[in-house]
Amino acid sequence: MKAVLNNQQDQIGLTRRHTFWLRIRRDALLYILLLLPLLYIAIFKYAPIYGLIMAFQDYNIFQGTSGSEWVGLDVFRFIFQQDSFYRALKNTLVLNVLDLVAGFPAPIILAILLNEVRMARFKKLTQTILYLPHFMSWVIIGGIVYLMFSNSGMVNLFLDSLGLSKIEFLSQKTPWLVTYITVGVWQNIGWGTIIYLAAITGINKELYEASDMDGCSRLRKMWHITLPGIKSTINILLILQIGRMVSIGFDRPFVMGNSLVSEYSDVISTFVYRVGISSGDFSQATAVGLFQSVVGLTLLIGANYIAKKLGEDGIW
Amino acid sequence: MIRDERVVYVKTGIKKISAVLCSTVLLAGVAAGCGGNDKESKETAAPESSNAAKSPSDPPAKLTVEVFDRGVQGQPDLNNNFWTKYVNEHFGKPNNAIVEYVPVPRSQEVDKLNVLMAAGQAPDISFTYDGTLVTRFAKSDGLYTLDELLESHGQQLKAYLGENVLAYGKYNDKQVSIPGKRTLLAWNGMFIRKDWLDKLGMPLPTNRDELYNTLVAFRDKNPGNVNGVIPWATAAAGMNYTFGNLVQSFWGQMSEEEFVTTPNWLKPGNKDAYKWLNKLYNEKLISPDFALDKTTKQADADVTNGKVGFYAANWDYPMTQKIREPLKQNSPDAHYVPVDTFKNAEGKYLKEVYNENGIFSFIPKSSKNAELAVKYLNWMADPEVMFFLQFGEEGVHHTLKDGIPQGISQTGEKMQMSNLNMDYTMIVNGAELGDTEKNVKTYAAALASGDKQYEELAMESYKINTTDGYSSFYYGVPNESNIKYGKTLGDMNKQMIDRLIVAKESEFDALYDKLVKEYMDAGGKAVQEENVKNYREVTANKK
Repeated sequence: MKAVLNNQQDQIGLTRRHTFWLRIRRDALLYILLLLPLLYIAIFKYAPIYGLIMAFQDYNIFQGTSGSEWVGLDVFRFIFQQDSFYRALKNTLVLNVLDLVAGFPAPIILAILLNEVRMARFKKLTQTILYLPHFMSWVIIGGIVYLMFSNSGMVNLFLDSLGLSKIEFLSQKTPWLVTYITVGVWQNIGWGTIIYLAAITGINKELYEASDMDGCSRLRKMWHITLPGIKSTINILLILQIGRMVSIGFDRPFVMGNSLVSEYSDVISTFVYRVGISSGDFSQATAVGLFQSVVGLTLLIGANYIAKKLGEDGIW
Repeated sequence: MIRDERVVYVKTGIKKISAVLCSTVLLAGVAAGCGGNDKESKETAAPESSNAAKSPSDPPAKLTVEVFDRGVQGQPDLNNNFWTKYVNEHFGKPNNAIVEYVPVPRSQEVDKLNVLMAAGQAPDISFTYDGTLVTRFAKSDGLYTLDELLESHGQQLKAYLGENVLAYGKYNDKQVSIPGKRTLLAWNGMFIRKDWLDKLGMPLPTNRDELYNTLVAFRDKNPGNVNGVIPWATAAAGMNYTFGNLVQSFWGQMSEEEFVTTPNWLKPGNKDAYKWLNKLYNEKLISPDFALDKTTKQADADVTNGKVGFYAANWDYPMTQKIREPLKQNSPDAHYVPVDTFKNAEGKYLKEVYNENGIFSFIPKSSKNAELAVKYLNWMADPEVMFFLQFGEEGVHHTLKDGIPQGISQTGEKMQMSNLNMDYTMIVNGAELGDTEKNVKTYAAALASGDKQYEELAMESYKINTTDGYSSFYYGVPNESNIKYGKTLGDMNKQMIDRLIVAKESEFDALYDKLVKEYMDAGGKAVQEENVKNYREVTANKK
């Protein structure tokens, strides 16, 4: 902060143009560092946009985008006629809404609880253990889930030995849904906590001290200081989450799904995989992807608009 | 004041950066466009470079060849082992070429191939069992037509495969792929624990009802005294495990045309077949978690741990190394025998067998080595070469007895990753020593690795599983609807099987009708109609 102030004092009296180059030169290293993520975004996020034209072509993999025939909106028409597309769309929304309801508050609560832990070492240890699942591949998690929750899995053997009836966690629709959401929360909770804990660290300590003087209980402090302190973080994350409503990761539904619950587990990403990669129909896959992005953007803008109307900070 | 100024600077900064970004995006677009053009120029240049005579001093050409990665335990590097060295020594050197193998996971062959083809990076010789996929590539004009190349460089290959086999690789009368020759036509087999039957004093079942009683006895009396007996083991539909010819045994009378063109779901009696399976599942006679077993790992483990009374899979499945070896270790008393138990109303054991074609090899247009590729396949058709690739070295991989090689299993770099190395010998599937009986014997001896019991099992299984066999009708003309909807329908097919078997008994009928309607609406109807049309044309032309 101090350095920035110094910089600005130096610049007084210089023209804008000069200051710009001066800044670049002064922080050259920082800009070079910035270049890397920018390149990443340019190559992996912007360059592929070019491929969107496939959605308007009868794409022939051997002719490429330059040689394929243009078909206008035919591909979209074909997709919107398919029942399986609507099912995938519906499932994506349902799974994401449930994920949001169950998965969004979880890290906030956990972060606040962790924040109250006094023993620093215990806090760190808990945090580490909790976010470990985030680094596990879904394939491995899927294997663990199968071993634990299948009809002949650990949990059911245990229930059986108690004389209780089995629960078909993975092969009945509703139990599968619960398993799917719960496992998702378990995997993500620790990771999500990090951001909130960071936000909590930013809250002015004096506020807590003052409330101590006033004789506030712990719960009151959580409610009146911690939560409002991280409100803007919660807001931004919520808006972003809503923007991602129509997109869904591929691994989790693919690994955890099976034919018995396909009516719930078939989502947009697995649909794209099936028509795009398995059936080699790249036009359809691209069109679905484009559709997904457009709806996502609309939701994001909508959520941001509403947040601003409610007097909160939006993301722009 | 100061703060405002800073904002302005940042904004100009953003403008500049976004200008840079925009140009990067444009550049990327141009580069991608160039990529497309580049592909075309490659295509036109390809024949030239391959026609040019190669003098020995030229740097060796690199021929890439697909190979399946089956993830066999202890397998060597698929591109550097005993077999690849042989190929490079005997084919590579004389032709000034280096043959390089590109592994593709067996269970994802189509997905991977789609990606490789779209990226223009498919191996010079690629292959797939999916005939529709080949047709689709050919239709998009992505494959070399091989008629001339076969004429000039593939005479030995042509003679070996013969007109009948080659016909399966034609599209619009042009040779677009080279089908392997399948010497053994059996497809599925069913196997039952003989030692359990003996313990219970029961005979081999000869029809459905007898099998049902046997399975119930397995469940209730647990003759093997194992923890968690599974009377009938299977896995999610679409992998190695099947229901044998059970479904066929329920089919009623049909005309030839109906039999060929009607989707199985609409055939008379088909519903009863699944109802029967549904009943078995609900009576806990079938693996409880089979639909979750997407990789067949669970079913394999159950079989090899000696928990399973009956199962259906490829006719040679019990002999494959991954089943045979662990079973011998875990449950040495287990004795599986092949059984024929699904008799239809006419008293026949109707079952599907293969057509005489194997895997389809093709040369993508992106390849620069079409000529070399055909030469390679042609070289492989040399009986001596083929024998070596299938049976290896005498004294190492086999011993000869009455002219029939008796297999010796190997580990490490000398091991065969697939039965008789079929992944390295794409022009043949099954033993090739002249006549069928000898081929079966040879195949059995090679796989059994000297175990007489397994040799008998193989011989018997082959006999049973070619009895009352029918093979799928070969139209010879592509079905456009199938190209479009085939994969979706195939996926639906698998889901339907699993869901129907696991359904509650009371919901079965409604579910069957609902799923079949969905199937027909999703393209099943279009495929059927085109099948009928094609069938009528083809049979009319024959007359």
